[in-house]
Amino acid sequence: MQWADTGWINILFVLVLITAMLTMILTNIKRSKASREGLYIRRIAGLNAIDEAIGRSTEMGKPVLMVPGIGGLNAISVQALNIFAYVTRTAARFANPIRLCCADAAVYTVAQEIISDVYNKEGLADRYDQDSVRFVSDRQFAFAAGVSGIILREQTAATFFLGEFFAESLIFAETANSIGAIQVASSTETTQTPFFIAACDYVLIGDEFYAASAYLSREPVLVGSLVGQDIGKILIAGYVLLGVAFNSAQQFERTTDPDTQTSRPLKSDERLMYMIFNPDPNRGKPKEEEEK
Amino acid sequence: MNFLIAQAPATPPLNFWNGDNATAGLWIKIIIGLVLGFALMIGLLFAPTRMRRPIVVTFTFLAGLFWMVQWLWPRAGEGVTEPTNATEGVALWLKDALPVVTDFANILTAFLLGLGIYSLVSIHGKRLIKKQTDWVFSGILLLSIVIMMIFGYADWLTRLGEGAAKVELVPGFWNRGRDLLFDGMLQQMDAAMFSLIAFFILSAAYRAFRIRSIESTILLSTALIVMISIMGAIVFMLDSAAAPVSNNLKLSEIAGWITGSLQTPAIRAINFGVGVGALAMGIRLWLSLDRGGVSG
Repeated sequence: MQWADTGWINILFVLVLITAMLTMILTNIKRSKASREGLYIRRIAGLNAIDEAIGRSTEMGKPVLMVPGIGGLNAISVQALNIFAYVTRTAARFANPIRLCCADAAVYTVAQEIISDVYNKEGLADRYDQDSVRFVSDRQFAFAAGVSGIILREQTAATFFLGEFFAESLIFAETANSIGAIQVASSTETTQTPFFIAACDYVLIGDEFYAASAYLSREPVLVGSLVGQDIGKILIAGYVLLGVAFNSAQQFERTTDPDTQTSRPLKSDERLMYMIFNPDPNRGKPKEEEEK
Repeated sequence: MNFLIAQAPATPPLNFWNGDNATAGLWIKIIIGLVLGFALMIGLLFAPTRMRRPIVVTFTFLAGLFWMVQWLWPRAGEGVTEPTNATEGVALWLKDALPVVTDFANILTAFLLGLGIYSLVSIHGKRLIKKQTDWVFSGILLLSIVIMMIFGYADWLTRLGEGAAKVELVPGFWNRGRDLLFDGMLQQMDAAMFSLIAFFILSAAYRAFRIRSIESTILLSTALIVMISIMGAIVFMLDSAAAPVSNNLKLSEIAGWITGSLQTPAIRAINFGVGVGALAMGIRLWLSLDRGGVSG
């Protein structure tokens, strides 16, 4: 059984983490619902710029382009689609055309449902164009070529690149930049964030991306969960600091070397933190027994 | 989805969820599965609107619960086929159910891909028929889809059939055609798109590194130090000049400090935030707490 070795500590850690996060999220949702002014969220420039970008494209009469990355249907693309639902709602009110390009068939299907739902809820079903949500290609660079083509042909005035982006990020950002489109971008891949920072007007960095739906909607459930998530983050940071303290303290600890019978400092793989996260059922057993 | 597919073993052993080929038992299971599937679909179609959300919430929760339990539940030992206790019984059931659940994901992906292709054909077909702007490109796209499908399928058939080994030695018309289309054209066009990034990096870097503010000056200086630190000859000269004064002033040391002490912690901090954000988002989705665009 798995819990015969020390590997269960990792599982326990994750269970404690998930339970703590869940408790924080649920408690703060309750707090947020009870609070009249709502819980505080700091200003995020990239999200404030969404309305500005849509307003600009309305003035110019050009479409708004949205790309939820090239990843599959996961938490990242779902979050991107949540933000796009907000963008579409605002664009629909101003009768602004939208283009949502997908590289994954599952994301495409969900996106189509969400966008049509947004138009229906706004009572603007007649303004919904089925072709506004498109599946372009599931090949990375074919998708990059397809989206770049749409940007150039339709001269999109505002572009939103939010989700999982890889090498194609700069192709999109530079193409949109070349036609003077206002750009809001975010990639959960840290390797692509610098490219977006260099080429886009506004960039959501790291967890700002996950704060977007709460920030935009101010819905108590989302705001509460965001605050709970931040408290959870502080808790994890506390865990990390505890680990650092343990590891640092053990740097001064000495042990007797079994071969030379002399005192020496602990090796890195003899420290508590290493042993917790690298379970070895044979650790500590005499070598002969290990061989058996 | 790919993550789910990757976890499935290639040929699952016989269990409650499958059966021997061409046996009555397997047919009965297929028919029961089909009937249940259709009943479920019809039930969902005719379910009252107010019931749809509870159904979606229940399905989402159960699906999430399966993966949570699958990951957290202790595994049965190697070679154990008969459970000796309840824990092992659940572990074996989960092991058997895993390929079934991943098959569900495969089937769903296949359907969704069909919808994706329908979207492509519909948009470009309309453009072609109505002869809208750039209809020629739409025509080329549709033609490419058809040609690639024909050559791809014919190639697959010949490589999989009895003469497969022969095809490896002397490729035929369909195999050569497929290689030309896939390796000779598609891959090359992919590479061409990829190589464009080099030029885009240049123009983006030019804009980002222009000295306009304190931040961009800091960015420019650090970027210069790191860039120069990977030019061997210059590093040798500058390090030799700095060595008599202090080892800490060596270019390689400064660049190492920037990447090790500034860049790496910053990247880890961002990844940490993204990880926690994804975890919270996952919990919200699992428990259907998020009533935004997706589950609203």
